[in-house]
Amino acid sequence: MKKIYIKEEYCIACRLCEIYCQVKHSKSKKILKAFKNETDMLSRVLVEEIGYNSFAIQCRHCEDAPCVEACISGAMQKNKNTGVVTCDEKKCVGCWMCIMTCPYGVIKRNLSEKKVASKCDLCGDEEYPVCVRNCPNEALQFKDI
Amino acid sequence: MENKFKSGKTENNIFDYVIIGNSAAGLSAVSSIRMADKKGSILVLTHEESLNYSKPLITYYLAGKIKSDDMYFKDKDFYEENKVLLKSGMNILKIDYENKAVITDTNAGFIYGKLLLANGGIPIIPKIEISDSNRSSASPKNEIKDIPGIFTFTNLQDARKIKDYIAGNDVKEVLILGGGLIGLKSAEAFLDLGIKVRIIELSDRILSASFDKQASAIIEDELEKKGSRIYTQNTINKIFVKNGRFDGIELKSGEKINSSLLIMAIGVIPDLSIIKNSDSSTGKDESGHIKSNRGILVDEHMQTSIKDIYAAGDVTESFNSVTGNKASIAIWPLAVRQGDIAGANMAGGNKVYDGGYFMNSVEILHIPTISIGVTNVSGDMEEGIEIIKEYKPEKKYYKKIVIHDNKIIGIILLGNIDRAGIYNGLIRNKVDVSNIKDNLIKEDFGIIQLPSDYKKHLVVGDGIEV
Repeated sequence: MKKIYIKEEYCIACRLCEIYCQVKHSKSKKILKAFKNETDMLSRVLVEEIGYNSFAIQCRHCEDAPCVEACISGAMQKNKNTGVVTCDEKKCVGCWMCIMTCPYGVIKRNLSEKKVASKCDLCGDEEYPVCVRNCPNEALQFKDI
Repeated sequence: MENKFKSGKTENNIFDYVIIGNSAAGLSAVSSIRMADKKGSILVLTHEESLNYSKPLITYYLAGKIKSDDMYFKDKDFYEENKVLLKSGMNILKIDYENKAVITDTNAGFIYGKLLLANGGIPIIPKIEISDSNRSSASPKNEIKDIPGIFTFTNLQDARKIKDYIAGNDVKEVLILGGGLIGLKSAEAFLDLGIKVRIIELSDRILSASFDKQASAIIEDELEKKGSRIYTQNTINKIFVKNGRFDGIELKSGEKINSSLLIMAIGVIPDLSIIKNSDSSTGKDESGHIKSNRGILVDEHMQTSIKDIYAAGDVTESFNSVTGNKASIAIWPLAVRQGDIAGANMAGGNKVYDGGYFMNSVEILHIPTISIGVTNVSGDMEEGIEIIKEYKPEKKYYKKIVIHDNKIIGIILLGNIDRAGIYNGLIRNKVDVSNIKDNLIKEDFGIIQLPSDYKKHLVVGDGIEV
């Protein structure tokens, strides 16, 4: 499957990936509208930064995904064909078992409406995930494993 | 093999794999058997009537967060896709070890090549004196579980009954016996419904098995502020019944409480009925029995003491990788993992269970909490233990990290649980944290602070270049 590679040495912590991720997963899909009017602006990619050291990390779509194993509702599934791990927000009850078990800590609580777990879906309907496409330094790359 | 059972034809009753239990462990085993063996016949037996549903969702169902039709965790195609025969409404009585068969209470038999016991746990119902103010000599003997208004809360049937009872009786307050995990998950649901809770707990605080005093105190304070009450170091001495219905209790402390609803939430124990019945019906000595303690004992392949019989999930007692002991840890993720490992080995594989440990996530009155591993150290264990914590009760925030021998063995997160899984990974992989101790407690602790060796281990093949 295609996964997002993280190139730590090219990351400058500009956080454009976070911005584009939030807009992509917003209702309006418009940057200004989304940031001004929408309450559930959660980025599914996370920039970590200490001094000059930084990288962006999102769901690794693990082979043996602990979040899928821990999910009590069947919302968190790994697609057998594509390998993508997604959370069906309709089925999710917000028990946070996935947050408890994800070793990367990249699943977030979305508390805006019904409480659900929110995570990277690799922008399934796009050719490239928006964080990858909009990274100015190619610090994120989308490649076959 | 000669078929000596009444039901059906021989060939219909012989299966390569028989699985007792249609829940987390059982269905996880189905998937892993099918990965390794595309052809072998699989039979799943369950005493429940529904297709499959997730037991931990029953409190969410009670709270109205999910409909009963949506409680399945494997969709309807699962059985067909995996070519599994599901027989529901089957009460398994015992195993006939000699003929390698499981026998139902209607004396139907199913012959297995490999058997998986994944039949879970049963609620503990304590013996309590019942005082019935107008019981006539004609009325049958009272059993706690038969009194209208008293319920256990471990399956969908229980949840449905409680829901109907609340709707029909205008319940404003509920008594919950047991301040452990089941009690608190129940409390979470009742509070969501606007029903106040009174929790009766034998130990000196709620969630005593997974929390320490400080964590319990934050939750207890919040519950009491919102009108609920907690009775610690207390239990029920007497149950009052009036006009055939539950009417209230008398506590050990002497206090009497009128009430129309009591939830028995002391806990669950592994359901050993099948193996107990099997043992008593064989003439063999103990060496021919399935060994059990509190739960069914399994080896690292999830095999029981009898060849070709495996066990997984809440029914087992298995290796606790944090304490090094055998323990019965009834939680969903371990049931799934154990089922997966049992299934793989039943299908001829060699997959090893590296152990598990207690963990859970409970949200009470909008305070999310996660506790993992050993969180409360006392007595003999204190040697070599280091505790890092930050306690801000006024902000409903608490973080505690328990370290032994430079490895994290437990955490409590309260208020902010966002990156709990990173700590869990450090516990599971027994990572030496001596160089990052100062960072562990920080609120923005993340992957970037992890030891570089572990960071590499974590992302091998998954594409972080560190």
